[in-house]
Amino acid sequence: MRRFLPHCFFALLLLAGSQALRADGTKVVLQKQAGPYLITLFSDPSQVRVGRVDLSVLCQKTDDQSTVLDAKVFLHLTKPGGAEIVEFTVPATHDAATNKTLYAAHLDLPTSGKWRVKVDARRGSDEASVTGDLNVLPKEPLLVTYWPFLVIVPLIALLFAINRRLRKGRELRHPRARL
Amino acid sequence: MSLALLFTAVLYGIGWVRIRRLIRTEHDAMRLACFMAGLAVVWLAIDSPLDTFDKLFLSAHMTQHLLLLSIAPPLLLLGQPLLPLLRGLPKPFVKEGLGPFLTSPACHRLSHWLTSMPVAWLLFAFSTVVWHFPPAYELALSSNFFHDLQHACFFWTGVLFWVPLIQQGPGKSRYPSWAPIPYLLFADLVNTVLSASFVFAGRVLYPSYESVHLGSMSALTDQTLAGAIMWVPGSIVYLVPAVVFAMRLLSPERNFAEEHVRRQPKTSSVFGQQLLRPKWLPPARRFAQWAMLVTAVAVIADGLRGSQVAPLNLAGVLPWIHWRALSIGALLLIGNMFCMACPFTLVRDGARRVITPKLRWPKVLRSKWLPVVLLVLYFWTYEAFSLWNSPSATAWIIVGYFTASLAVDSLFRGASFCKYVCPIGQFHFIASLLSPREVAVRKQSVCGTCRTHDCIRGNETTRGCELYLFQPKKASNLDCTFCLDCVKVCPHDNIALLPVLPAKTLVEDPYRSSIGKLGRRNDLAALALLIVFAAFVNAAGMTAPVMMFEHKWHGRLGPHAMPLVVGIFVLLGAVAAPMMIVALCSAFNRLVIAPDRVLDSTRRFVYGLVPTGIGMWVAHLLYHFATAWSTSLSFVTPLQILSLDAGLLLSLYVILRIAEQYAAGIRGVFSIALPWAAAALALYGAGIWILFQPMEMRGMVH
Repeated sequence: MRRFLPHCFFALLLLAGSQALRADGTKVVLQKQAGPYLITLFSDPSQVRVGRVDLSVLCQKTDDQSTVLDAKVFLHLTKPGGAEIVEFTVPATHDAATNKTLYAAHLDLPTSGKWRVKVDARRGSDEASVTGDLNVLPKEPLLVTYWPFLVIVPLIALLFAINRRLRKGRELRHPRARL
Repeated sequence: MSLALLFTAVLYGIGWVRIRRLIRTEHDAMRLACFMAGLAVVWLAIDSPLDTFDKLFLSAHMTQHLLLLSIAPPLLLLGQPLLPLLRGLPKPFVKEGLGPFLTSPACHRLSHWLTSMPVAWLLFAFSTVVWHFPPAYELALSSNFFHDLQHACFFWTGVLFWVPLIQQGPGKSRYPSWAPIPYLLFADLVNTVLSASFVFAGRVLYPSYESVHLGSMSALTDQTLAGAIMWVPGSIVYLVPAVVFAMRLLSPERNFAEEHVRRQPKTSSVFGQQLLRPKWLPPARRFAQWAMLVTAVAVIADGLRGSQVAPLNLAGVLPWIHWRALSIGALLLIGNMFCMACPFTLVRDGARRVITPKLRWPKVLRSKWLPVVLLVLYFWTYEAFSLWNSPSATAWIIVGYFTASLAVDSLFRGASFCKYVCPIGQFHFIASLLSPREVAVRKQSVCGTCRTHDCIRGNETTRGCELYLFQPKKASNLDCTFCLDCVKVCPHDNIALLPVLPAKTLVEDPYRSSIGKLGRRNDLAALALLIVFAAFVNAAGMTAPVMMFEHKWHGRLGPHAMPLVVGIFVLLGAVAAPMMIVALCSAFNRLVIAPDRVLDSTRRFVYGLVPTGIGMWVAHLLYHFATAWSTSLSFVTPLQILSLDAGLLLSLYVILRIAEQYAAGIRGVFSIALPWAAAALALYGAGIWILFQPMEMRGMVH
């Protein structure tokens, strides 16, 4: 067991760091060729839900597939249907991206359903525009979102109970032993 | 993740230094370097730019896996992390918390089995092969959870694989000296088969990499490169140690494990203790007081003359957001630092050079009832008149505070204002029961020989404790303002700011100088209860549902009814609710505790709720502090929940330990603890509900 202690410690560290593993480009939402560019749109998290979402764009030249890093990229999102049409346009930038080959934008999507996404990329006289659908699921209940932080209490309580049981067992085996 | 790795590095570093102070070996520096390099490799694998490319390039992903599976684990294990990490942790936690696990025979058997060569090898091979099957790999690429799981599997099976090879000390190998050679060679065989399947597949094995590829490199070329990375550097990792083991086998006379061990003479103290040496503390305190006084003057000036838009005024931001959060942070990390740096007592000290107080504080007011009333008034006025939103009112409150402390302490002897009036001080006294440091005597035996008792009486130049805390009988931070007069005046240099187990004083109830026993004090129990429940009332008052409810009643009762509505809310939440809960718990306890001990036990159990209350205060103040500095709030809710978690766990522990003092068997203990544990859980549930509500943001001056 002794040699496992540091390992348990690292297990916790890896779990704690799992949020840090999120980066741009988790799931490909669409990939289309338009004009001189091949545009790929990623979403993070992979299942987009109402609330915060990271949309990132990879812009490549169609001829040699080299990455275009100096384009102006805009995302237009529209939620058609219903009584109210929700629409907004946001710039996607390298600053907002973890992977600097991508253009990213952090958005707060207000409603669930099928959204229409249009990606515009412009560089000098070259322009490309692709459209696709983004399926947005309803917001996850907060208890589900934060469950890893809520199970800590029962988990530690369980470990404490085991601790007490082990101590009692040891005291019974070695009445004079002190831990 | 970077922070977590940094924390581990610090922990290992502390342990390494502590061990080196006792004993030195020739490989100490190498172990430190290996462990730090191992941490750096973990960072490189999962928190560096390499990670951002793992979904675009299989070769990047393979490099990541190679680092997690074969580079980081042996480096970390070469650092022999067990002892340094254990020594880096607090001793009581290791002894009481981890000790039973470390010495458990079942755990020994499990670890022995898991680190046996056949089991470790099989787990390693199984994990490596299974995760590289296209469906499993694609699953990891499409889901963050499975991606994390994949990395965790690689890292842990890697650790298990390397444990039998890197033993924790000389002479501990369970296997013949030739065993590592086939062990490594067969592992290399698995690696070679997998690498070859990448290189010679002739088609893209993982379609996700086909959909996106950067530059001129095709997905197939990327896959071949990934195979080459896995094959060449991957094989070197297994073959080089195999060669080393073979060389050892062929040189049997030399004992490679032998180390020169040198015992070190005992050294005195670590950096923290040097920093907290008694001679440094009083001047440091005076400096902090002057700094706080200057800040208070600036806040008053800006509050009275500056913009009355709270977020643009120091008086709207510093006292209500930054100071409150920082002072509770300091309380939990060090101790009662605000009272130590209190500017009000600095002014009072100045005045006492001219005026000598003659009177004694009235006997009828020598309790905590006055501060309890003042605190209720404060919580009411804060919400009802939006003090946080009124810089001029804030400035006048600070002026009033200076005047009151000056008036009280000019008339009455001792620190009457701190002990019997100051509501802020009372909050800090209760919260400091969870502090990790306490002004205390180093050796009771020295106090036993002391005849002058300067710590309470003072001497010609320095006064003794003005709160009448006699150091040898002082048993917690209650009523201690950290003024350090006792530290300065002790002729034996026997009083210092010493480490103490947080909440330890909640579990025990010895006689405390100038306080008595907690189990006998109604006023202190009421104060603790108020501070606990006010945490929830204060935070709930800023959430949308409660505010809407208040506004609804405001609309019904008339334009000037808001103070009344808020007053009823505060009275119900902070006064009536705790009284009902305590009465209910006490009624349950009456069934199992002797009637003459019920009241005493009720007063004791109230302190069991203090950690949950302080956890809620931290969660609430953290929100305002974070929103004042950053607009990215994704980290706030997890930290708030963690704060509540810590509070609840500590509460449950304290309740259990107190219950053990009133019953013998496990059933008796549980039946006594149950109502109080339920109360703590109910508070926790209320806290989680509050944290999940939309909360009003307050001042945000950067």
